[in-house]
Amino acid sequence: MSVLAVDNLSSGYAGAVVLREVSLALAPGEILAVLGKNGMGKSTLLKSVMGFLPKMAGTVAIAGSEATRLSPHRVARLGVGYVAQEKALFQDMSVEENLRLAVRRPDFEAALAEVEASFPFLLQRLKQRAGTLSGGEQKMLLMARSLATGAKLLLIDEITEGLQPSVIDRLAGVIRSARERHGTTMLLVEQHLPFALAVADRWAVLDRGEIAETGASTEPDARMRVLRHLSV
Amino acid sequence: MTEARRLSLILAVALAALAAIFAGPYVLDTYSVNVLTRSLLYAAVALTVDLLWGFLGVLTFGQSVFFACGAYAAGLVFTHMDFSPSNALLALGLGVGGALLVAAIVGWLAFWHGASALYASVITLVLPIVATQLLYSGGTFTGSSSGLSGFMSFDLSMEAWFWLSGSFLVAVTTLAYIFVKSDAGRLLVAVRENEQRCKYLGLDTSRLKILVFLACAAIGAIAGYIYAGYAMVVAPELAGFVFGTELVIWTALGGRGTLLGPVFGALIVDYESAQLAGDYPFVWQLIIGTLFVLVIVAFPRGLLPVVFDAPRKLLGLLRPRAATPAASVTLSTLDPADTQGVEPGEGPALAVADVVKRFGSLTVLEGIDFEARAGELVSLVGPNGAGKTTLMRCIADGAERSAGSIMVNGYDIGRKPPEACVALGVGRKFQMANVFETLTVAQCLQIARVRHARPSLWRRAADLKLPEAAMHVLATTGLDRQLSTPAHLLSHGMKQALELSMVLALEPRVLLLDEPTAGLTKTERMQIGAILIELARKQGLCVLLVEHDLDFVREISSRVIVLHQGRIVLDGSVEDVVASELVKQVYAGSGHAGIAHETAPSAPKEMPA
Amino acid sequence: MIAQSLDIVTTAAILYAVATGLLLVFGVMKIINFAHGGLMTLGGYAALVTTQAGLNPWLAIPIAALFGGVAGMAIERFVVRPLYSRPLDAILATWGLSIIIGQLITLAFGRGVQFTQSPLNGTLDLFGESYSAYRLALVGIAAVLGLALTALLQGTRLGLETRAVIMNEDLARGLGINSGLVRFLTFTLGSALAGVAGALITPLSSVDPSMGVPWLVNAFMLVLVSGASLLSLLFACVVLGGAQVLVATHFSPVLGGLTIAVLAAIILRVRPKGFARD
Repeated sequence: MSVLAVDNLSSGYAGAVVLREVSLALAPGEILAVLGKNGMGKSTLLKSVMGFLPKMAGTVAIAGSEATRLSPHRVARLGVGYVAQEKALFQDMSVEENLRLAVRRPDFEAALAEVEASFPFLLQRLKQRAGTLSGGEQKMLLMARSLATGAKLLLIDEITEGLQPSVIDRLAGVIRSARERHGTTMLLVEQHLPFALAVADRWAVLDRGEIAETGASTEPDARMRVLRHLSV
Repeated sequence: MTEARRLSLILAVALAALAAIFAGPYVLDTYSVNVLTRSLLYAAVALTVDLLWGFLGVLTFGQSVFFACGAYAAGLVFTHMDFSPSNALLALGLGVGGALLVAAIVGWLAFWHGASALYASVITLVLPIVATQLLYSGGTFTGSSSGLSGFMSFDLSMEAWFWLSGSFLVAVTTLAYIFVKSDAGRLLVAVRENEQRCKYLGLDTSRLKILVFLACAAIGAIAGYIYAGYAMVVAPELAGFVFGTELVIWTALGGRGTLLGPVFGALIVDYESAQLAGDYPFVWQLIIGTLFVLVIVAFPRGLLPVVFDAPRKLLGLLRPRAATPAASVTLSTLDPADTQGVEPGEGPALAVADVVKRFGSLTVLEGIDFEARAGELVSLVGPNGAGKTTLMRCIADGAERSAGSIMVNGYDIGRKPPEACVALGVGRKFQMANVFETLTVAQCLQIARVRHARPSLWRRAADLKLPEAAMHVLATTGLDRQLSTPAHLLSHGMKQALELSMVLALEPRVLLLDEPTAGLTKTERMQIGAILIELARKQGLCVLLVEHDLDFVREISSRVIVLHQGRIVLDGSVEDVVASELVKQVYAGSGHAGIAHETAPSAPKEMPA
Repeated sequence: MIAQSLDIVTTAAILYAVATGLLLVFGVMKIINFAHGGLMTLGGYAALVTTQAGLNPWLAIPIAALFGGVAGMAIERFVVRPLYSRPLDAILATWGLSIIIGQLITLAFGRGVQFTQSPLNGTLDLFGESYSAYRLALVGIAAVLGLALTALLQGTRLGLETRAVIMNEDLARGLGINSGLVRFLTFTLGSALAGVAGALITPLSSVDPSMGVPWLVNAFMLVLVSGASLLSLLFACVVLGGAQVLVATHFSPVLGGLTIAVLAAIILRVRPKGFARD
């Protein structure tokens, strides 16, 4: 059974169709990178799956449960962790509060253990206000937060945006190790091609709201095939 | 229907209403005539609430104060100076003058550039509270809590007062009706619907709101003046918050934005209140309160439209309506000799020097420096968050940037608001199609021309002259055949084209376009591209566009500026950009160590075409 | 001098008690609850019923909270929820509810002014000044209210989720927080606090069907200048309440009654965020 099954999904804003009849399925433990230029519908895909945008047509199922018409908090409670591209942290709250808000399971200690496994430096910063972390640290907190929830499926929107190479490498390592330890399924929306191909099993390119091409990351020509869609 | 026939019809209805008013005292009992005289005056004030709230979108709780202004002017003058014809005139002048002064102060407070709708309502809420307290503290001069009574007034019969009040209401309603249906009146709806677009069409919306507010204050004051003359008693409650909210309740019940709804709402509720107040005062208030909540929640348009729509729908079942209404406006091209765009000044069309934009501690733009000439088509590209839209905003609104200077047509935009930047020759098209959804295509275009062609206060123009560039867009996209279609029924692409023609109707020198092709089909994209090239080459416009679609950029631009993390990383020809390694890295993420070699192909085996 | 300082402190405390419920609702739901005045009246009559029944006057506070809270639940469910996307209409509808509450109370209790028994009578000597014991007690009660609310918001899961909804509702929903439930509970709590405020002010004045209305506008202006912070509300109550006391004693009581509304309007004109932090 697919952890995420999107079937013929169309979506958009105020009458403008941004996403056209997109279908995709993620097997347990699979990581898919969705690539494409700006404005091609990548973020819209995630927002629509989460229930932030109304679906014009098509269906979404999460781990076999029908989720097409659920509101965002119900989708989240099915075990979905969503990391938005912007404003994904409560800037005026502490690191700990940001973690507590996302973690619904009763044993917060287990969640902290998960944070320690991914980004141990955060444990020393639990009382610090999230808005005072550096840009890279904020992204690491976002990653740690979504893993600490124990979510089965993560939807992550451009976590690498504006980050230094060293931070991107760290994130890549954490994502791979999380998948190994927990079998977490992930859908990554990315602009950073090397990162995407390094962590994902498969890739899909969105072009003007439609899936233009898909492939496996291990194929030797993957980079060239994606670049053809991204290049100027 | 011709313009003359439309206006005669309105006047005929007004005459019929006057006849009904004249007949009133002959068919109604004395008690009703007495009560209705007051109701007729209240209805005139409710009408001003509707103009402000229903049409302009300003929810006001303070119209009672203007009514009290007129009433107290009469009461004070007649009490302290005796009644005489010259004093009567003086009182009227003081009442209206005082109301205008108060309205000007409130308008300055409530409608400044950037004030929120909630803030404006708050100010109108504070107004009656201040006014009643001042009246209470006036001692014997204002009569404090018991008000003023026992003063002399005009020696008119009860019927005459009824006729006077009724004629005043009919006159005010007729004028207001003619106004809101006129070209100028449509601006009120445009401001309510989309104030931002109005500003970027060069309209000073704060000034418009203040003007309407002043007119409404004068109407309220005259109604109050007549009221004092007839009732011969004035009390602080007339200025109060409770009366102010009652006016809003009547307006909401009758139907905001209908003019007649609030008039009938006020007449019926106030008259019935007087009838029932003796027997069931609290139950009646309870019913009105319940009805009010119900209407707000379930019928926000009020009861008049509900009453009128039911029979219309039944008729509609029997007699299907014509598919498309005939065009009421004919388009023509503006004679180039009559164009009124800004004269091109010295130097480049657009000069941006060292512009910085910060949000708090976050710097979004830094050291932005470039110039663009007339006839140039410059594309701004860069990944999300590079600052492209922010830069557009800084050029179109002088208050936006944190540092640096921007010259348009050789004029410094300084700290000028958007409407003043439009006057210097800036035209901005937004990312999401930004038009007036409930207005028709022709009406949207008319509003875009208001800056150049002053609209009539009572007529509707039958022809609309547009500059050649706007006409060209309309003709190319076929919008000129859909002039009577309401904008919300247009497709996304057509809305984009409509907004572009509206901006071109301003006769701009510098055209700012934020993702004009987002969400468009391939054909529509090509059409827009051809239009833009034509605008730059033939009309000599300086076009600056933000665009994600790099194929599109390659097809149309003469020059590309690449923004990354708030800085210009490259400014050059399309070829320069395509060849640049730096730009590739910005877009695809840099191929740094660690991740890169794991998946990078050893050697490209096939080069994409 | 001492009497005046005590006046300022007690006035600020009363204003704080009256405005907290409104602030909570405004912070979470971004709407102004005009039924707040009506709910205060409800609380006042709850206090009247309590003392007339011969119960301990202090019991009036929890009973008023219960009345306000239950009314708030019904209002949120049937009137406010359909108006989330129309904030100006929500103001009007809640004002209509205020009228309904006022008229129902008039039908039940009549129009007349009535007096409740004060839980504390007499005066207390403080810094050589004898001062109303009940007004001084209100300072303690307001402090307890403020601290309890702060503890609720800062120390509980519900409080954490409420703050999350205040700061960024979409983000909260994406993390699995049922913001609809948070809104419902907030409105209920805000209404219960309005009831408590009504019960608290009755021993100071009297009870009548429109007793809440004069308080509404001041509370509303205080909330607007405070943003959504309990701390800046405290600051606003001290500054504006203090100004009110000073103007009332040195100029005229009538001008004093206007001070809060006028000053708040001017503060908002100069600085739209009011006393809220950047």
